[in-house]
This record gives sequence, C-alpha cells and structure tokens, in this order.
Amino acid sequence: MKKFITALLPVCLFALIIAGCKKDNAGNTNTTTDATLESEVLTDFSNDLVNPNYQDIQAKANIMLAASNTFIASPTDANLLAFRTAWVNTRTAWESCEGFLFGPIEDFNYDPDMDDWPVNSVDIDQLLASGSSLSLSDVDALPTTQKGFHTIEYIIFGPGSTRKAADITAREKVFLASLTQSLYNTTTQLRNSWDPSQPNNFTLQVTTAGKGSATFATRQKFFLTLVGSMADICNEVANEKMQTPFATQDSTLDESSFSHNSVTDFTNNITGVLHAYLSTYNGAGGHSLSEMVKAKNASLDITIQSQINAAIASFKGITETYEKAIYNQQNQIKTTQAAIRTLKTTLEDDLTTFITTNIKD
Amino acid sequence: MVLILVECQKASVFPASNYNDQLSGGDETVFDATQSAFGNIFPTLSGYDEHVHVLGDLVFNQSFVTAPAPIQSGLGPIYNNTSCANCHHSDGIGIPTAGDRQSSLLLRISLPGADANGGPLPVPGYGLQLQDKAVYGKAPECSVNIAYNYQTYSFADGESYELRTPTYTLSNLYTPISGAYLLSPRLAPPMIGLGLLEGVPESEIIAYADPNDANGDGIKGKANYVWDIATQSKQLGRFGWKANTASILTQVVTAFNQDMGITTSLEPVESSYGQAQYDGLKDDPELADSLLHAVKYYAQTLSVPARRNVTDATVKRGEQLFMLAKCGTCHRQTLTTAVNVAFPAISNQIIHPYTDMLVHDMGPGLADNRPDYLAGPRDWRTAPLWGLGLYATVNNPGYFLHDGRARTITEAIMWHGGEAAASQAYFSNLSTTDRNAVLAFLNSL
Repeated sequence: MKKFITALLPVCLFALIIAGCKKDNAGNTNTTTDATLESEVLTDFSNDLVNPNYQDIQAKANIMLAASNTFIASPTDANLLAFRTAWVNTRTAWESCEGFLFGPIEDFNYDPDMDDWPVNSVDIDQLLASGSSLSLSDVDALPTTQKGFHTIEYIIFGPGSTRKAADITAREKVFLASLTQSLYNTTTQLRNSWDPSQPNNFTLQVTTAGKGSATFATRQKFFLTLVGSMADICNEVANEKMQTPFATQDSTLDESSFSHNSVTDFTNNITGVLHAYLSTYNGAGGHSLSEMVKAKNASLDITIQSQINAAIASFKGITETYEKAIYNQQNQIKTTQAAIRTLKTTLEDDLTTFITTNIKD
Repeated sequence: MVLILVECQKASVFPASNYNDQLSGGDETVFDATQSAFGNIFPTLSGYDEHVHVLGDLVFNQSFVTAPAPIQSGLGPIYNNTSCANCHHSDGIGIPTAGDRQSSLLLRISLPGADANGGPLPVPGYGLQLQDKAVYGKAPECSVNIAYNYQTYSFADGESYELRTPTYTLSNLYTPISGAYLLSPRLAPPMIGLGLLEGVPESEIIAYADPNDANGDGIKGKANYVWDIATQSKQLGRFGWKANTASILTQVVTAFNQDMGITTSLEPVESSYGQAQYDGLKDDPELADSLLHAVKYYAQTLSVPARRNVTDATVKRGEQLFMLAKCGTCHRQTLTTAVNVAFPAISNQIIHPYTDMLVHDMGPGLADNRPDYLAGPRDWRTAPLWGLGLYATVNNPGYFLHDGRARTITEAIMWHGGEAAASQAYFSNLSTTDRNAVLAFLNSL
C-alpha cells in the first residue's frame, strides 16, 4: 500500500553540491505546462476514467447480485457458473480501479469493505454453522474479512475451485443474498462519491485542484497523488500480491486462490495504471497525463507507455494459474515482477520529477 | 538518483547554520505532501533493508484472522482491531470513535495503585486494556461509549471557538468490575520518524528535564521510566501519549498482543489468558519472529515529510510567535540522534521533531487521572509536531491530542493548561492575524 517516493532533495539549496551528480533530465523544462491542458486533464480524468469505471463496477455488481438471486432461486450448476462469471466480471472492473486508489475509496474505506483479504474462514464457518441471523444489516456489520469479494469467492468457488451447486447449503444461500446486496450497496456509495450530480462529490475536488479544492491545494499535489497511487499498485502487485505466495512457495497465500483469478487480477491492476496515465476507460478517453508528458518530454512518454504495456504483456507468459505458476513458471513470474518494478521506478523517479519540474500551479 | 544525491550531500562538510529547516527528519526526510506522506521508507535505505521494510509494510496492512489460518493467523479472541493499518490509517493519526472498523481509539484501564514495577495495576478479568471486539462465539470485554459536551469560548479579540469534552462510559461488561477503576483513552498516533526519536540519546532528553523547575520558568518536564518487555528492565519511556513505552519493539509487541490478540515470542501469552474468552490453543507465539521484527523495522524506518513554505513571511512570523509564546520550550525544534555505527540511517541526524520527549503537567482539562509509571494524573508527553500540517491531507479531516477531542490545531492549542497555560494564554491574546500566522507555521510542519 505504501509507495516509496524518493527524496527530492531541495535542489536550490543543494544545487552546488549536487551539480556534479544530478540526474540528467534532458527534455524537461522549467516552464509551466499549459494550464488549459492541465484543466482538461483534471476534467477528463474524472469524466472519462473514474466516473465510468465506478459506474461499471456498480453495474457489474448489480449483475452479480441478480446472478446470485437467480442461483438461489434455481441452484443449478449452470446458474452457479453464471454467478461465478458475474463475480469475475465485477472483479475485472474493480481491479482496474485499483490503479488509482485515492479519495473516497480510501477515506471511507470502500476498498477494505469490499476487498479485504485473507478471509476469516474460521469465523465464517462458525457463523454459517450457527443459527445467527444473516440479514443484510448483520452482514454489513461483520468484520471486513467476513464479507466482500473474497467471502463470496470462498463460498461460490471454495478451496481448489471445486464447489458445485449442490454443495452450497441453505444457510450459505441466505448469506450470499446478503453478501452480494451488501457489496452492491458499497459500489453504489463508491460511485456516488464521485458522481458530479451528488453534493460534496469528489470530482469537484479534482476539477478544482489548485483553484479552491480543499483536497488538492495545488494541481501539482493532485498529479503527485495520482502518480503516487499508480506507483503504489505496482508495488502492491510485484512486491506483495505476487511475491508473498511466490517467496514462501505457498499457493494458499494467493489472494484470489479460490477462483484461480489472480493473474487476471494482477493484469487488471496494471491495466488500471494505463487507464490512469491515458484518462481512458473501455476505449473512450480524453486529455491525459500522457499528453502533458508528451508535450514536454516525448521520450519519457514513450518510455512510460512502453513500460506499462510491457508489464501488462508480460503476464501472458504466465500461462498456468498463479497457484501452479509459483512452482512451475518461476522465471516467468520473475520476468513480470521485473517489468513492473521497472515501471514503478520510472513512475517514482522520472514521472515524479517531471511533475515537480513542470507543474508549478 | 537518491543514492547519488545522498552520497553527494554526505560527502560535504556542512556548517550547522546552513541546515535546512525543511529537513524535519534529517537525511530521512521525504518531499511528499500527498495522502501518502506518512508512508514512505527512509530514502537512504535500499536492497535487503528495503525488502524487510516492504515485508513489514505487508504485515502492517493486512488483516489478521481467527486461528488456525494459513496466513495472518491468530486474531483475538478479543481485540480492538484486525490490522495495524485499521487504526494507523495511512500511517497517520486515528479516528476517535469506538466500535466500528475504522475506530482507532482504545481505553486503558487499571485499579488505583501501582504494580511491583511502578506501573498501573491490572483489573482482574480485564488486564490493562479494554478489548471491545471478539472473534465469533466470544464475548467482547465491553462496549465503549463516547459522548461529547460542547462549549463555546472567546479569544481576547472576541472571535469565538468551540471545545468538546469527551466522556467515556462502558456498557455490556462481560463480567462485573468491583470497586473503582481508572480509564484513559488513547488515539492511534502517527508512525513517522519513530526510529529517529528512538535514536535520540537518553542524555539529551534528560538534559531538558527540570522536574523541580529549578530555572523558575514554570515549565518542568520529567522523564518517565517504565518497564520494558524487550529488555526486561526499567528504561526511559519514549513512546505513547504518556511515554509509557521504552522502545519501538516493545510498542509493536504490545500492540500485537493487546490491540489484535496476536502473541509473539516476547509476549507469548494471549491477552485473554485467564478469562472466559481464552482460546486454549497451543499456537503461541502466533507471529513468527521474522515478521515481528519486519514490522518493528517498518515502524522504525518510516521517514518524515519535509516542511512546506518555510520562507513564507507569514510562516516565519508564526514561527517567531511560537517561540515568543514559549511553545518551543517543550516542543523543541531540534534534537540530534546518537552516533550509531550499526544503523547509519539513524546515526547523527539533526532532526526537527518539535518535542522534548518528556512528560508535562497539562492541567486538569486534559487530565486522565490515571498515573502511568512516573507520568502523573495530569501528565502527557510533548507530542512531536512534525507532520502536523499534513494530518488533514493524510487523515482527512485529522484529529489532535491523545483522545482526538481537538478537531483543529486551534482547539488543540486551547486545550493546553498546566505548564502550558501561559503559552496558551499568549496565543489566546494574539490578534486574529497573528493567531493565523502561528497556525500557518504549524501547518508548515
């Protein structure tokens, strides 16, 4: 979760000392980036990426809610498969938004409410074995390790992804009804938190960055936050989600191990970084940070785009489930981790320096 | 780039007068004023050190679950929260609520009197801390209820401000408590710069102590000496709102044990031992030493964000007023860490934490009336002010003081009493313009 912003030493003070070893940032200039373009990027980042992404998560969660209800009414294997597919599709929209985790998703803990891990299977099993109420309000009040994506995954996929429709008990169906409704409700809160038509929406904080925004006193602060969040997810994927099960050679430590969806999760996380850089979602996009970089330092823009695409493409080398790949495809995993770490360094060093150098308002 | 720059910086002899006020954490300062400002590793670390920090970060952020589980196992049976980060949100200040997932406030409890080491006396059936959550099938020790009384006051120039006074009551006690007991609320503090504070030599801290007010300035300040689990000895208390914890390792061990119910080799007994909630499992210690020390190292190596706007005229004016009000007598600008050849990152660093690390009488308004070793009923440790201006950014909106009662820096100042009463009065008598200058200075930290 943490990023490692490198210390940008106060260049003015130390200029004489560091002059001999200051990294060459050829191409950067000290002129302020076109304020109009900055303004357009703030608007399009919100309108062409965050809002459509959050709307999509909500829509997919609604489809999953319907699929859950269909399965509960008619618990066939085909309906379980449809439910699982709806889970995976919701997950796709969700994981890509982790490329820019800041704002209400963090301030109001929508992220852990939906996506905490690991699941507390001991308590979930006891809860299911008990006669305790499993109403929506009961599920809402549960600790985050007993609801959200991974608790649903635990029930509809199960360890080894082996569960069949007939395995899912009556109590589990009651639980699923509340779990999917609870998750949908949280996606609605998340969507509303940026919805420009809602009072106190966060889109306004972004579009007014440096012009009265309480959250972003300067535009530079917004862009540093954005780049920091992009680097954060690179760190989380390469050094945490991939590294923990790989380093310990324990597939039970893999986040989406029940569904075998981890490689897809990882890929969508890094795709989210691409979305954040290009202000794009589902093929539609507008003015972007990439455009700002390209205007001042075209080679840096090419480097960043190629490194993001290389990291995404490198996942194709992992052809097995991640649970198996940690034993069978170790070189492919290392290659992917290296590609993501390279990207992370570029974001933390070059792109961060670009922003502090070129965005002065 | 960083390594190169740092090498260059270290290679030069720098006159002390030229040290940059921005570098609150010395070499371990980061230029980050975003939501992530408190979560950065020491910039001089790399390689294996960075790996250990990252591992600690992982454990710090992930939720623990009920044993037996393949990972993060051993939550509870009674606890305050499920992960470190659930209280230390983004490594920053907590939220002063009780009972929900984000709650970062806990209550210490004890009987009147002291134990054999001079520390608080445990309450039978409860120990020294109330755990208000439990795993499935177990009873939390109690529910904590927080109520506020709001009152409006005026500065000398007529501008008004409001203070809220908290009251804590317990309900749903799992077993009755007989007789009188003492409660003290504690809010999760920011995590920045702990390794640097641990590196300040004891001799420097003691040098600032003046327990009998020998210099007659009305400000005392005394060192707290506390029992340290890690060294099994009495040591100078450095951490915690009453300086009742001697080392980062002990702080981490105690937080695992008391806040989450995770046993370690240094505290291998469940917090619920001897109580109805005890799990009876033979799985202790639940956290491997490697992970414990990684979390300790993570806490030790979180850097300090640089100050902003240090050349701004209003900020400089505020800094002068801060000194004239004698705030800086306790909130000392500069400390120097000891030479430590084993850990160069924290060695011989000139830092600007704005604390003397001593406990002071803060008056009846803030008193918890619960002694903690040598820290008396009205004593609190001088809170470090570095990072203060980023609380709102990192932990929107951000709270202040040991129990989060203050919602703004102004409120926090106006709660100062006891040894700080004269400084508080000085601030209160300033014009609005000058008060705002003081706030501008504090927000630059």
